[in-house]
Amino acid sequence: MLRFGLRSKFILLSCFLFLLPWLGYEYVWEMEKFLRQGQEKTLVGTTRALATALHERPALFDEQTNFLDQVVKGRDLYAYNLKNPIQLDGKLTDWDSYQPLFWHYDKRYLQKTDNKHQASDLSFDHMVGKFDNYLYALFKVTDDTLIYRAKNSLSITNNDYLKIGLKTPGGQFNTYIIAPRQNGWVNAFDAKTKIPFTKIQGYFESTESGYNVELRFPINMLGNKLGFAIVDIDSKEALLEPKIMSTSNLNNPNDLGSVLVPSPEISRILKGMGHSGSRIWVVDNHHRVLAQTGTIQNADGVWADGFANKAPETWWQRFEQNYLHPIYYKILTRPENEFLDTLHDVASMQGTHLAKALKGQPASSWRLTPDSKAVILSAAYPIWIQDQVIGAVIAEETTNGVRTLRNKSLEKLFNVILAVMLIGTVTLFFFASRISSRIRRLRDTAEQAIDAQGRVTGSINYSDANDEIGDLSRSFSNIVSRLGGYTDYLENMSSRLSHELRTPVAVVRSSLENLQSLPQNELSQKYLDRASEGVERLGKIITTMSEATRLEQSIQSNEPEPFDLQKVINGCMQGYQLTYPNQLFALDVCQSKLPMQGAPEFIAQLLDKLINNALEFSKANTAINVSLKQSENKATLIVSNTGPALPEGLTEHIFDSMVSVRSQQMQQQPHLGLGLYIVRLVCDYHKGSVTAQNNEQGDGVVFTVSLPLHN
Amino acid sequence: MIRMKKIAIVEDEPAIRENYIEMLSAQGYQVSGFADRASAEAEFKNALPDLAIVDIGLGHEIDGGFLLCQTLRSLSKTLPIIFLTARDSEIDTVCGLRMGADDYLTKDISLAHLAARIGALFRRMEALEQPADANALITRGQLTLDTQRMQVFWQQQLVDLTVTEFWMLHSLAQRPGHVKSRNELMSDAKIYVDDSTITSHVKRIRKKFIALDSAFDCIDTVYGMGYRWEQH
Repeated sequence: MLRFGLRSKFILLSCFLFLLPWLGYEYVWEMEKFLRQGQEKTLVGTTRALATALHERPALFDEQTNFLDQVVKGRDLYAYNLKNPIQLDGKLTDWDSYQPLFWHYDKRYLQKTDNKHQASDLSFDHMVGKFDNYLYALFKVTDDTLIYRAKNSLSITNNDYLKIGLKTPGGQFNTYIIAPRQNGWVNAFDAKTKIPFTKIQGYFESTESGYNVELRFPINMLGNKLGFAIVDIDSKEALLEPKIMSTSNLNNPNDLGSVLVPSPEISRILKGMGHSGSRIWVVDNHHRVLAQTGTIQNADGVWADGFANKAPETWWQRFEQNYLHPIYYKILTRPENEFLDTLHDVASMQGTHLAKALKGQPASSWRLTPDSKAVILSAAYPIWIQDQVIGAVIAEETTNGVRTLRNKSLEKLFNVILAVMLIGTVTLFFFASRISSRIRRLRDTAEQAIDAQGRVTGSINYSDANDEIGDLSRSFSNIVSRLGGYTDYLENMSSRLSHELRTPVAVVRSSLENLQSLPQNELSQKYLDRASEGVERLGKIITTMSEATRLEQSIQSNEPEPFDLQKVINGCMQGYQLTYPNQLFALDVCQSKLPMQGAPEFIAQLLDKLINNALEFSKANTAINVSLKQSENKATLIVSNTGPALPEGLTEHIFDSMVSVRSQQMQQQPHLGLGLYIVRLVCDYHKGSVTAQNNEQGDGVVFTVSLPLHN
Repeated sequence: MIRMKKIAIVEDEPAIRENYIEMLSAQGYQVSGFADRASAEAEFKNALPDLAIVDIGLGHEIDGGFLLCQTLRSLSKTLPIIFLTARDSEIDTVCGLRMGADDYLTKDISLAHLAARIGALFRRMEALEQPADANALITRGQLTLDTQRMQVFWQQQLVDLTVTEFWMLHSLAQRPGHVKSRNELMSDAKIYVDDSTITSHVKRIRKKFIALDSAFDCIDTVYGMGYRWEQH
């Protein structure tokens, strides 16, 4: 059966220590939640601070189109901040990185609706950008027939051309036309005066599907309205109506689309906030980005400052980094700085937080990056001008800082927990080992204190420990000593009894003897004889009773002497054959010398008791088997007889003092159960052992005495 | 007329004391009984008996008999003292004999045997006063037994044996080489004890011889049968 010791139970219990890391983990999670809330509040605070700097400063927003009711994509243009100057060469390579920002104009933007219009007839991709003090514009036009301005033509409209309409900062509406004669540099003409206008420069380059135009003009000539139109003439001869595809209606200044140029002033203000560790946008109320600073990759708030990865210096740090951290990071995730950011350099912002902010309420939101590698926190705060929200400040941070912080604290927590668990388990283990070893020792001493026959062999050394186990050992010791006393009392009972009985028996005996010396008549003589016989028997009983005690006493005072066991046994057996001529003895006694140390007369007494026992129990006309053999350094004496078997469970106890297993019929002779007790005493004296068993057939008893030899 | 031998019995059990007094009186001794040590000692200072039978436990004094024995020995070196007691332990026996008792008997002994012992002791006393009778001498090698005086000599040296021991040795030495069983020894020594007591008696006899002659090995144990005197 599976047995759990105290130790394994303790170890099982110590498994509860594993709750500790879980608790710690939960706790740190809670902490992270608070930190996130804190980060949220801080971020909202950042946006508020920036918004405060922008409140009630209409000048910053005046030139923009913030006061428009609505902004239409494609009609209202946005001048993206360009990172590098554009080389005007008609090639799109400079614009590659801005490809996603191109706006595609198709038949929806035709001035006259034509349902049969094909994309290959006329369509274009367009984008405006700002670098330094110039505004750049790109047109990637798809046109199946490209018609240049004729070489000698004064007209600038009898060909494919690009029309530009803008409002100057002064509010004047100007239109310009770019009509290229060939690929290469082009300049604009004033549409009204047809005078070349060199401030607007460009490059024209035809392509397989149409042509590309790149333009540049100083930003200071531009107000807040701008529009472009591509006019496509497919034939020089036939006066077909030209197809006009435009960003907005250039014929009416009021219909002109707006243009938003990121404000340098706001950018400057933003730059000051750029050190806040967040990515910050200022957007107008049409969600268009007015200014931006910071990158999201570095925007982890200020939470992780001071957690820079230092090279491990001490052995502990090295151990931690090389062995512990790999284990910890099986559970934890390290925040990554490489993640996908969809909002990089966007022109317009979306989001619930922004919508809320533009309604006048500061808000924040969380979102997961598409690759699920980071969580980005966005906060938005409205910018007010005269009770009207004209924009919002948006700040974004990743939670990487908080996560780093969390990881750091979890690392520390795990370290501590690991140490606690280790120490706890080891302590528990030792504690359990100590307790179980103490209990085992107690058990062993308790078992040793009482031998297989149930005799008390010694006292228990109790421990002074002032605890329950100490108490237990003391009470064990107490029990054993009492039991010992009781056993002692029982074993001495016969000798005490014999001593006490001897005097009254002597009284009776001497009285009877005195009576005997007087002349008796026949009748009284008869009674006298009977009384004498009874007293005689009583005396015999008393002598038998004290035999064991006397043997014990002589054992105590006896000095062991060397003798030959074989000679003693053989001699005794001869004696028995003489004494009991009617009894068969089957002898198998080895004839070689069996040297022993002890008392030969005790051995003779032992054999005497065994033979007497066998004689008493053996069936008539069956032999008593006696064998003596040497096995290694032991001599084995076996006395067996046929007869009644020993009752179950009594085989050990028949060697105890005053134990007798006899049926009523056999109680003719006085028996006190001391014979086999004497056998045991003699065996013990010679450091041997004696056992009694029923033989295999169950019709007899075998006594086996094992005695150590002495060389 | 021969003076009546005076025997003192010191025994705290009145029934036994009276029985012994009556029995010994019937045998022709002048017997006086004492229940405790004080009264016995008081009497002994007046006049010593010819023989004293002493119980070891006297009333409250468990070892009163031993003390009395010492007192008696100090009064007389030759006075025969017999311990008659319920105690049969080896230690008590040795102790009693070392006190200078002439014999140590348990109360199992029959009155007849006791009387025989007393008679023997008196005979020895008388014999000691008379010259040795050559007819009473038995010689077995270096052993000489004087049956009259109940004395034993080994290599001309006196071996101090009790009456019981003398009778045992006498029984053995009478027929050298012949095994005497324990029962025979018992009846010859006029005692009834168990086998192990015989064994310890024989051991004591051997010891007394060995004290004189460490090479002594004439009493041979025949295991399972008994003992014999072996002549070398």
